[in-house]
Amino acid sequence: MQHYNQTPKRKAEFIVPPNHLKEKVGTGGVSDDILEKAQALLENNTVDFQPLADMYLNSLMKGIEVSKDSNASDDNEYLISTMLYPAMQLKANGGMFHYPLVTDIADRLIQFLEVIDEPDLESIEIVLAFHTTMRAVVQGKIKGQGGDHGRELLKALNKACIRYFEKPVA
Amino acid sequence: MMELTKSILETFGIENVDSAKDGEEGFTKFCKHNYDLVIADWMMKPMDGISLTRRIRNDQLSPNQFVPVILVTGFSEKRRVIQARDAGVTEFLVKPFNARDLYRRIAQIIERPRQFVRSEDFFGPDRRRKRKTAYTGPMRRENDTEGGQKNMKEFTDTLLTAEEFRDPNAERSST
Repeated sequence: MQHYNQTPKRKAEFIVPPNHLKEKVGTGGVSDDILEKAQALLENNTVDFQPLADMYLNSLMKGIEVSKDSNASDDNEYLISTMLYPAMQLKANGGMFHYPLVTDIADRLIQFLEVIDEPDLESIEIVLAFHTTMRAVVQGKIKGQGGDHGRELLKALNKACIRYFEKPVA
Repeated sequence: MMELTKSILETFGIENVDSAKDGEEGFTKFCKHNYDLVIADWMMKPMDGISLTRRIRNDQLSPNQFVPVILVTGFSEKRRVIQARDAGVTEFLVKPFNARDLYRRIAQIIERPRQFVRSEDFFGPDRRRKRKTAYTGPMRRENDTEGGQKNMKEFTDTLLTAEEFRDPNAERSST
């Protein structure tokens, strides 16, 4: 493989740091029983996701409003980040607190936000649709994947994203 | 979330688990206690997990620039992983995660620790993890010619040996 545009070669020093952790833990790993016990802690946690979800959904709505009110001179990357970061938190925490459908929806939203160049009106409408759907899932306490209905919701949101990218370039 | 992670770590048998509300407090505590392992969330304010990792790796106050850092985040896009890797993160863990995912990252750090690289613009765990495989990326390091080709030769030699194993009469196409 040729790399015509690569930068000049740099000196690299390699260091093997002492493995203090290995010295402390010794050999052998954690048993399956312990792993199952740790997993049970996650699965049986009774933390109410709703207040946390409300906080991030409100933050997402603020990002939507800021983006809606923006003008051409505003920094697009910043505007997108106001929606991206709460979406990331919803993705991260949904599945940890028994709402994997929120994780799946937020994941799709992140994928959308990571590739758009600017928050134009059409893209903001799509983000709003994601927001409304996640709000409905949380308020309806739809835990788990939401069955056929959950799949349909995801499919519809995905189609909206595809339509956005298929629009003719102005 | 932090409490859940702490409980999981304690279940694994890790006795002293400390926590901080953001990267700034985390770095102060790290300087004071010099922990064996740091688990940081990407999203923290005012200092996020990426900035915390950079400080641990490069700040003169850091008591251990080699400490393993596991970055926990909801991001999973390739450019985010690269951003974290370039900051000096040791392992990347995508949320939501399960207990086994977290355990695997810790086990990896203990059983397969990564050597560190110091160059003009990077200090952190070696970003070329699979050193025994054929590296096909840009040869940016001065000593790449020797090391890279050696690894490549080891890799191709292994393939040829496997070929010979399947067919002892096969002739080597190259040496």
